[in-house]
Amino acid sequence: MGYWDHWAPTPWLPVLPVSPSLGGDTGVAGPLGSALSTRFGARPVAMAGGLLSGLGLLLGAFATHITHLYLSVGLLAGLGWALVFTPSLGTVGRYFPARRALATGLVVSGASVSGLALGPLVPLLLDTYGWRGALLLLAAISFNLVAAGALLRPLPVTDRPPGLPKGEIGLVRLLRHGPFLRYALAFVLVDAGYYVPFVHGEARAHEVGCDEEKAGLVMAAMAGVDGGGRLVAGWLAGRPATPLLRHLFVWVTLTGLTLLLLPLGTSFGGLLSLALTYGFCAGALVPLQFSGVAEVVGAGPLVVHAMGLMQMFESFGSLLGAPFAGPFQPGRFCEEGMRQRRHAYPWSSLA
Amino acid sequence: MRAAFSGKRPGRLLRLLLLCLSLSGGSPADAAMTTEDASQASYLTKMQAGLNESSAGLLFHLSEPMITTGTVNWQTQGSHSDHLGLGHDASTPGPDPTTQEVKQATKENVSNHTFVKYEITLPGVSSKSVEETITLDRATRIELSCRLDHMYSSLKNFQVTWRKGNETIRHISKTEKSWSIQLEILDNSNLGSYNCTLKGEEEISAVFHLQVPKIEGKEKPIISYEGDTAVMVCKSFGYTPIAWTWYVTNGSEQIAINDSLLADKYAINRVSANVTHLKVLQLTKEDDGVYWCEAAFELGKSKGKLKLKVLSFMVPLKPFLAIVAEAIILVTIVFLYEIYSKRKEKCAEDEKEFDQVEQLKSEENNGLENSSTRHRRI
Repeated sequence: MGYWDHWAPTPWLPVLPVSPSLGGDTGVAGPLGSALSTRFGARPVAMAGGLLSGLGLLLGAFATHITHLYLSVGLLAGLGWALVFTPSLGTVGRYFPARRALATGLVVSGASVSGLALGPLVPLLLDTYGWRGALLLLAAISFNLVAAGALLRPLPVTDRPPGLPKGEIGLVRLLRHGPFLRYALAFVLVDAGYYVPFVHGEARAHEVGCDEEKAGLVMAAMAGVDGGGRLVAGWLAGRPATPLLRHLFVWVTLTGLTLLLLPLGTSFGGLLSLALTYGFCAGALVPLQFSGVAEVVGAGPLVVHAMGLMQMFESFGSLLGAPFAGPFQPGRFCEEGMRQRRHAYPWSSLA
Repeated sequence: MRAAFSGKRPGRLLRLLLLCLSLSGGSPADAAMTTEDASQASYLTKMQAGLNESSAGLLFHLSEPMITTGTVNWQTQGSHSDHLGLGHDASTPGPDPTTQEVKQATKENVSNHTFVKYEITLPGVSSKSVEETITLDRATRIELSCRLDHMYSSLKNFQVTWRKGNETIRHISKTEKSWSIQLEILDNSNLGSYNCTLKGEEEISAVFHLQVPKIEGKEKPIISYEGDTAVMVCKSFGYTPIAWTWYVTNGSEQIAINDSLLADKYAINRVSANVTHLKVLQLTKEDDGVYWCEAAFELGKSKGKLKLKVLSFMVPLKPFLAIVAEAIILVTIVFLYEIYSKRKEKCAEDEKEFDQVEQLKSEENNGLENSSTRHRRI
């Protein structure tokens, strides 16, 4: 009763209004980003994405109604971020085919760094400049994505034999590709459970008796090891001992197991250690998930399309996962954990 | 501190930001319910239900963890929590003269006043003074008692006095070791600090502070911009005020805000029984300052303080332009470097080509020489 009270409006608050704009935020725009980058090259698309995301936040600073905010920050900026994300990961994979996992790990660990940095930064901006000023400055920071995108120098097109099918045909082919579909479906389910500890973690910490500071510590620690997990997993998978998908299978299983065990954390220490384990494993599977795409569909131009499509499917999974976990919190943890493990099996057979 | 985390996608940051925005004060505060609202609403309904019971007597157990229904908001001080106990016979006033008085008093006044009792156990000769704060929002009949802990039953020959300020109040001895006064709190003048003093070899005293409910303002200033609209919120926890008034500070004076007079500048909205909103439109620098929200209760008034800061758009614009300039510079550097390195490559290629041409030429020359020598032989 107390838990649900605490959370009653909030899981839906960020999700519901954003869900129409979730189409922009790597939902529908995921495949869009990959299609555009195949056509025009990764660099222009990423730079345009950076520009759009900054523009969206900038317009949000001048919003006069909350729907303006959801349109500008949610839709426009979300679209921008989606246009940056998929081409970047695809390009990095192509730059370093031998050490794809490590490279991807480094790239996605950047997200952890920004997450940790923005934790104290956003409240500081809000306190100093109010929400309008904060959005303005975050827009400026977002414009740096244009500079990052500029670094995606186009590679000489050696791996694309002439006469290869164009974007749309590539997408259609993917939808009929059995292993890819299983892979994407597995991650839909993974995503349904993945965010639950991040979204509900703080409330759970309060439930087991942690005060504000301790709850914040648990969350920050989880985010911190998440970054570490990404790097370590990327580095480990680079060692030629076992195939990448096996690594991914192991991490997903561990994540699922930890998720199952999370409801058992009933003290600060217990919850903290479980949260650390979960954060590490959850982070670990991220770079492997993306570099694994190349293993599943082959390292050709389909990779970027596959990533975009997978992201779109995933976004539905995550949309459903976190809010529904609210009322059924302990049970949900178990459910999602089990689902993850069960579906880790099909595509491990691809390895 | 809310820990932001990085999910697999930047969408997580977006959601966190929107959450922060909707929870912080400011004009698009149309998100009706916040987490605070949700928990407060449930707490408030409980309180209302408790206070509306007008029973013959409500007894308060002053032990630390327990909160019974009908509990009013008080602060217990850690120093005396160990010594708090409850007199076992304090539950039912027997058929003695005091009850007669009480009953008569009840008939005289409005019969649906709540009747509450508070008791402090005196901690003996420890130097810390024992205090209890009691919050009252409406007319109440109250009984305050001081009891000597059985540990100190050896104390003899002492005098007990109940006082408010300098005025002594007649008290009654409920038992051998406890004394109480009964008060009717009907208006603001009845509120204040009442103390009981035991004068023997040592002097022991305890104080009851009777006060109106406190209103909390906001510690952090609300930041807004010129031309924008600011909404300031004041809440009363647990008690419903009769009326709300807003004041703006002009220099050292507090001026009440009349929103019907200045309708295109201010709008006061009583969103719910315990919550009031002040909307200030068309903000200018002069609106910057301290605002007060005053809640009027039957027994008096209580104020909460809020600060409004009005910034000009130049303030965040400077760092914004600085960061954007930095991004542009980075992009330029990247492209310039790329052009430079491409030119180097081209130069190197040109050199290679040049060398190749030279080689060909020299080969040709050699060939020509050979043919001419062949000719000479013949």
